[in-house]
Amino acid sequence: MPVEVPKEKWPGSVRTITLGALPAEGGTRKRVVTVGGETAMPFMHFEGEIPYPPVVAIEIKDRKPDDWSPLLLETWRDVIDDPAQWAAAAEEAGADLIVLALSLTNRDGNPTTPEEAVASVKAVLAATGVPLIVFGPGQAEADNALLVAVSEATKGERLALGICEDKNYRTIVATAMANGHLVTARTPMDVNLAKQLNILISDMGLPLDRILMDPTTGALGYGIEYGFSVMERLRLAALQGDKMTQLPMIVTPGFEAWKAKESKVGEGVPKAWGDWLNRAINWETLTAMTLVESGADIVVLRHPESVRRVKAAIDELMAAKAFVS
Amino acid sequence: MSRYIATRAIRGANALVREAELMLKRALAEKGGAQKVAFPNTAYYLPLIYGMTGVAVEKLEDLVPVIEHAKRLLHPVPSEKMWTPYLGETLDSGMATLLAAETIEAIRFVYGLQPERMPGFTLAGGTAYPELDSPNNGRVGHLNGPIDDIQLRSWGIQLVDGRMPGFAAIVGAAKSNEVAVKIVRELQKRNILCFLSGNVNGRSIIHQLIEEGVELGYDTYTVPFGTDTISAIYALGFATRSALTFGGLKAGQAREILLYNRERVFAFVLALGEVDDLKYAAAAGAINFGFPVIADTVIPEILPTGVTKYEHVVSMPFNEIEGADDLERAERLVQKCIEVRGVKVKVAEVPVPVPYGSAFEGEVVRKNDMRVEFGGKHSRCFEYLYMAPNDEVVDGKVEVIGPTFDHIEPQGHMDMGIIVKVAGRQMQEDFEPVLERQIHYFINGASGIQHIGQRDIAWIRISNNAAEKGFKLEHFGKILHARYHSDFGAIVDKVQVTIITEPELLQQWLAKARAAYDYRNRRLADLTDEKVEEFYSCTLCQSFAPNHVCVISPERLGLCGAYNWLDCKASYNINPTGPNQPIKLGKVIDPVKGYWTGTNEYAKIGSHGVVQEVSMYSIMENPMTACGCFECIVMLIPEANGVMVVSREDPSMTPAGMTFSTLAGIAGGGLQTPGVMGVGKYFLLSPKFISADGGFKRVVWMSSILKEMMAEELKKVAEREGDPDLIDKIADERHVTTVDELLVWLEEHQHPVLSMEPMF
Amino acid sequence: MALSGIQIYKLLPQTNCKECGFPTCLAFAMKLAAKQVELSACPYVSEESKAQLQESSAPPIRLITLKSDGYEIKAGNEVVMFRHEKTFYNKPGVFAKIKTSAAEADVKELAGRINDYRVNYVGIDLEVDGIAVEDDARNADKMQKTLSVIRSVSKKPVMLFSDNVASIEAGLSQLSGETPLIGCADSENWEKFAELAKQSKAALAVIADTLDGLAELSEKAKAKGVEDLVLVPKGKNLGHELILQSQIRRLALKANFRSLGYPTLAFCQTHAQIAQAIAKYAGFLVIDQFAEELVYPLLVLRQNIYTDPQKPIQVQPGLYEINNPQPTDPVLVTTNFSITYFSVANEVEGSGLPAYLLVADAEGMSVLTAWAAGKFDAERIAKAVKAANLDTRMSRKRLVLPGAVAVLSGEVEAELPGWEIRVGPREAVDIPKFYKQVLQVN
Repeated sequence: MPVEVPKEKWPGSVRTITLGALPAEGGTRKRVVTVGGETAMPFMHFEGEIPYPPVVAIEIKDRKPDDWSPLLLETWRDVIDDPAQWAAAAEEAGADLIVLALSLTNRDGNPTTPEEAVASVKAVLAATGVPLIVFGPGQAEADNALLVAVSEATKGERLALGICEDKNYRTIVATAMANGHLVTARTPMDVNLAKQLNILISDMGLPLDRILMDPTTGALGYGIEYGFSVMERLRLAALQGDKMTQLPMIVTPGFEAWKAKESKVGEGVPKAWGDWLNRAINWETLTAMTLVESGADIVVLRHPESVRRVKAAIDELMAAKAFVS
Repeated sequence: MSRYIATRAIRGANALVREAELMLKRALAEKGGAQKVAFPNTAYYLPLIYGMTGVAVEKLEDLVPVIEHAKRLLHPVPSEKMWTPYLGETLDSGMATLLAAETIEAIRFVYGLQPERMPGFTLAGGTAYPELDSPNNGRVGHLNGPIDDIQLRSWGIQLVDGRMPGFAAIVGAAKSNEVAVKIVRELQKRNILCFLSGNVNGRSIIHQLIEEGVELGYDTYTVPFGTDTISAIYALGFATRSALTFGGLKAGQAREILLYNRERVFAFVLALGEVDDLKYAAAAGAINFGFPVIADTVIPEILPTGVTKYEHVVSMPFNEIEGADDLERAERLVQKCIEVRGVKVKVAEVPVPVPYGSAFEGEVVRKNDMRVEFGGKHSRCFEYLYMAPNDEVVDGKVEVIGPTFDHIEPQGHMDMGIIVKVAGRQMQEDFEPVLERQIHYFINGASGIQHIGQRDIAWIRISNNAAEKGFKLEHFGKILHARYHSDFGAIVDKVQVTIITEPELLQQWLAKARAAYDYRNRRLADLTDEKVEEFYSCTLCQSFAPNHVCVISPERLGLCGAYNWLDCKASYNINPTGPNQPIKLGKVIDPVKGYWTGTNEYAKIGSHGVVQEVSMYSIMENPMTACGCFECIVMLIPEANGVMVVSREDPSMTPAGMTFSTLAGIAGGGLQTPGVMGVGKYFLLSPKFISADGGFKRVVWMSSILKEMMAEELKKVAEREGDPDLIDKIADERHVTTVDELLVWLEEHQHPVLSMEPMF
Repeated sequence: MALSGIQIYKLLPQTNCKECGFPTCLAFAMKLAAKQVELSACPYVSEESKAQLQESSAPPIRLITLKSDGYEIKAGNEVVMFRHEKTFYNKPGVFAKIKTSAAEADVKELAGRINDYRVNYVGIDLEVDGIAVEDDARNADKMQKTLSVIRSVSKKPVMLFSDNVASIEAGLSQLSGETPLIGCADSENWEKFAELAKQSKAALAVIADTLDGLAELSEKAKAKGVEDLVLVPKGKNLGHELILQSQIRRLALKANFRSLGYPTLAFCQTHAQIAQAIAKYAGFLVIDQFAEELVYPLLVLRQNIYTDPQKPIQVQPGLYEINNPQPTDPVLVTTNFSITYFSVANEVEGSGLPAYLLVADAEGMSVLTAWAAGKFDAERIAKAVKAANLDTRMSRKRLVLPGAVAVLSGEVEAELPGWEIRVGPREAVDIPKFYKQVLQVN
């Protein structure tokens, strides 16, 4: 007796968003990245389209970071002082995208200037062919000062600028509008707050196909279940036709996982935690994979080995289309 | 629409278009059609023309169709006898004026007549003119002319992100140099950009400011365009480019560009001095952008709102403005401009001599540390907030009437009344109590000040420490002014506070306040579900109960007990994209069980399809879902033909065989479970409480803590239900914890459910 | 349309006999409506009612319990596709693999490690649930020997996998009185497996690479009298496994498709398979390699995903020391909601500044929620201070309240004479700044 599988036919779909611009489009990228377009829950190829695979971004900094796990500092040791080399190494390691997170202060401990930020961004653009996402240091004033300069200096590149939050989004959105960039919109693990910020941003006049939403996640062990469920709910709402949730999702499991004690600390921890390096990478991989399963379109990672694993998994998840059609 | 204004604007437009046409003809003859035409450092050609018509003017001959277009927009001057709405014609003429003005300025650039020369003058930052600014040419003094793209971008971002509230196009000359300076300073203080142009009999505000040594240029947010009216066109070129840059709009999308400006760019025209035909025509152009015109002379007003967000043309004759002197009049004039355009005031810091912030909210001022108290055992303190017409409220005014506490002995007391008068275009009478309740939180934020209670049982203490630091009565007013603007700016435009300690006046106001409290109580009691057209949703709890929606009606408050219908209404007005959205009721499907087309539709959307229908007044059929925050759980006791009500605070066993915490697992989670419902405790008192199932008489068991907490109110409910002893007939955990005991109790006490219809 | 609790109640005896384990018939009816109990728990329900309650009579995914001396691992009884819709109930059992080809000493060592593995996560001890024996040697003696060695060091439940039924039989001889899982039965050997399962009362894993195949096997096994079945959907790759797992769950829940109404088992080799199996519907996991650094995150992920969204994870209330604090250092107080605790602990730890973190019992709610619910008030805070003996322990008595409950400062001051009560920031991120700019200044 053949089993008849009930299929969900959803009325809505996720928007398709392209990051980066080729020379013909006014940018300098060798490749662009398109995400979104899903008409079904993650990888349910048998009942809808998953036209673009989720992509993996590697996060780099404009200088050697002060607070990263020593394991990461060691991994990127040879390139960590030069964002251009770091970016090139990240591309080499398989990054579909680069996330450049600007620091609050420069190497000398002085506040990062807009000129320095622009220089870092331009160096990274020159060193790579993949699209770029630029995050400010995370303090409203610094974010606005640095991102506006970066945005103007890279007009037409179709960068994604972040991070827009409900307390500070207007300047980033304004400069993105003026210079043809995208923004990422972050809300603290809540479906309604995510919708609200998307409404506020689109009310300013930025078209919805230039907004990536970051519903925020916790790392494994640190609230991942909230991120996981919020993402599933956002995706379900999008498929049900709620316009303000139909945006591709970007999440930063690398940042979250490497902040955890499990990744940061190697000594004085329980023996049951096992080998430090492998544990840390496992922490990042499991966090990222869980989020890919719940609908992430862009996952931002930090370690090349997790990038390799997550990309291999995504390949298999996408290839399954062949087995059901 | 004033025929007078229409006539003059149409006449002005006709004249200017004709002038532009003649100039263009002459220029074509003298310079040839291929002569290049451009404004400095812009990628938007002649921006207004480019935006409005889509024509990218690069050569003189490109201007020919522009003038043709302008001519088509002209209308004959209305005859003396005709009386029709002239708005359309006037607006067309305004647009023609703008096209003509930009054409004229462009031709002037060709002839080297722009930017306007001003010998000896140096801009404090401005558009670059290498030729004129070169030391080789002896640095020719000049005004700014149009704003370049770099500055546009920098200011544009600030206008879009809200750091700059808007811009003022000031045209003409002020009554005196002193007034000119005051006006500009007042605008600068509010971060409003000033664009200067025009003159009255040859004298321009630009001259006035230069004479007074005011620095003009990009650096001071005060840009001198030119001393004639035509140069005011640069302000609209700026507005057009803003829309093209930040609104993602394309050249030629005239309507969208105008709407963008109306909705998003907070700009206005301030016409100083006599208004001539050309100024009327230019003003009509500005109105196209939704920018209102405020004149300091007598001109007919156009008050009905429509094209602009508020009034179109407002006349505020300078000498008639209330004020001690010209400076105060200038201040009021600017205030008016801001009101008319709806620019919101932000007060960055609460101006009090003690630390202020939510961290101080819980501070207690003990008797020993106290300087003085108002209210409490020995004195009276009340607070009263009411709304008043806009022109009856002076924003920021704080008045203390009566003695201060200087003469009161340490740890003494005195009477005080705090009267808050607010105005706002979005303000409604229903918001008065909601706003009044905030006084408690606002005042508590000051370090060393303790606030308890509300209305006429308010009780405020000022600590010695705060008094030593200089905290005075007026600071209550300063706090309230700042906080209402920052927290309730969406509904409040103006706030005026009066602190009364003068005994006689205090009694008068206390009587007024009490009348208002009474009125509000009655209004709340009268506010029934039948009297409104919309309920409100509350999705605050969806973060943990994703499919739950509270439907809040006047007679059914949120199940957490924290939000009633008025709160939701105010919350929606303050935050239109927030968690409280109006639910239009639509058609009544069943008035008894409480079904409307609107509530059902909303239930489906809000619950993401999990709940199909919701009944407002029944526990047996599609009851409202619950998140988990409910104050009480109501549950069917089938054996008793009634329901029990268990309070969150009651840990004991109930006749349902389960405690509150076990029941909570069944009642919560946003799932519809007929027979179980989570509610706010005050809903028990509502006439709509399970009214479809028989109402309050169905209650057979209730946690004793509820009986005690709401003894008075329950007594009234019993009377309403026609059974004054009803509450005593309801069992509680002190006597009954099983169904069997309950049945015996009901028999013994002859509870009305015994004779009611079966519940199912 | 499913029946509501009240509709079901009408069909029950309404005697409140309590024999079903619930206090009243209505309570039982509501649990039935939520598909969380079986109708068979009611001994007195009439035949007529049974027929009417058919649809509500059993959970759509059968509850399977593996047992050994002192242990029980459950799978099944799930009622939703997405955890936010209600919750996922039974955490998938994690079994680590041991091969029969391994040397005896190695088996003993590994079984011991698996058995003894225990890791603490927010006050909860997490363990591996059992051992899966893979008969890669295809040798009944080896199987028997391996199990006897395992049983010498571990009493945890086991799974036996072999395509050689004789091996399974040999293994079972070591497991009398237990309910292990045996498998995997496929379309070729299912009959022998089914007989063995029936005879030994073991749960049976059936394997196929299509839903049709699985359904057919489960029906045949059931016809043979085997009720406790576990499905092993053998996907062609990771993505195919996801689709099969999702379809099985959906058929069981949405179509009440009984032949696939059993928990599933996933064999995991990669990290991605592990994450997917936990997030997407596996009832049991068998992991290829036992390694602490993998098992720890796996168990934590399982704990997280299977947290009831409405009953957040709680941290043990009490005093936590961060960065070796001295009796002069500040005491920060917060609630025992795990996420709240983590955000505060992480910030303080990351800053390197020494402090005591006092976690008050607020029934697992976040600061504001707990405050609003009356679970985090001055009294409770004072109680926590006393319980931790801080009055004698601290030489400088400084207590920092979360900014969100600034309103409590006055009351706390009254409850704790001799303490300086400070109001900290609202957000945990701002703690290091507050510490440096305020606490270190005075």
